Amino acid sequence: MPPRAPFGLAGFRRGLRVGLAMALPILVYGLAFGIVAAQAGMGAGMAMAYSATVFSGSAQLAAVSVMQSGQATLWAIAATVLVMNARYLLFGATLQPWLSQAGTGRSLISLLFLGDANWIATMKVIDAGEEDRAYLLGTGVPLLVVWLAGTLAGAVFGAILPDPKALGADLMLPAFAASMMAVMVKAPASLVPVAIGAGAALAVGAWAGAGWGIVAAGIAGGGFAAATAKDTGKGTGK
Amino acid sequence: MTPSLTAMLLVAAAAALACRLAGFAAMRYLPRSHRLDAALRATPLAVMSGITALALAAGGLTEALALGTATALALWTRNDVGAAIGGVAVAALLRAFGG
Repeated sequence: MPPRAPFGLAGFRRGLRVGLAMALPILVYGLAFGIVAAQAGMGAGMAMAYSATVFSGSAQLAAVSVMQSGQATLWAIAATVLVMNARYLLFGATLQPWLSQAGTGRSLISLLFLGDANWIATMKVIDAGEEDRAYLLGTGVPLLVVWLAGTLAGAVFGAILPDPKALGADLMLPAFAASMMAVMVKAPASLVPVAIGAGAALAVGAWAGAGWGIVAAGIAGGGFAAATAKDTGKGTGK
Repeated sequence: MTPSLTAMLLVAAAAALACRLAGFAAMRYLPRSHRLDAALRATPLAVMSGITALALAAGGLTEALALGTATALALWTRNDVGAAIGGVAVAALLRAFGG
């Protein structure tokens, strides 16, 4: 059995620093969910339970809108969360070659803290050669903490808080995606998946919604890269 | 009859957990190859680009200026997190002035 990859405090701290830097917009996003949850008749405790167990703003907001429709069934809730979070299938798949080297238990715990922003941050550092697999957990812990804090504040004080959209909360994820993409594009060839991803997202998102647009971007970009890859005889080792 | 909030919570949590774990678990059964490696390298960039493109398509001038600021700051400073926060700050500022 090969030795496990590092999973230590140093990597956790590196991730923690990045997670803390990303925390403020997540806090505001959490406020938005807390406000919506309170408007839907959820108590603060139930709203916190949703944020702790689902930990996905888009899926939680969509699920609450289904509940508010008055036609909620358990199947409708399941389908809504599965559709909104289908992109996490890609996130988990892309992390697996790197993260699994830390062992199954550590990988599964880390995946519980996986979100859009820290997946992007982690894929960026994997690309740069990060070896310590605790990085993902380090990014995720502060994000979950502020997500819960924001949910609580929104659910309790929603009536007296400013509109989260006015603070730019809706642009948090696109801004992280744009800036990290800009740093990760190092050669003209990197622009190929960028162009394919944008085209696929716009084409599919226009009629199937943003959630499926993101899934389509990943499948199209990855699929094109796989179809055109040349065997150089060396793997990534990641 | 509408299910209870607790029942809906349990279903939502199970679905979210399934999404988090299923892709990771499925990869254990895919043999590694140069094509799979290429796909894994390209997917993050494609997803980031897709998220950005969808936000630009859904937004207006304010959103375009905010994301343009984030991209420009990232290219200039190579500090992606700071650049993203700068982009969000631009959006908040413009919206405060009616953007």
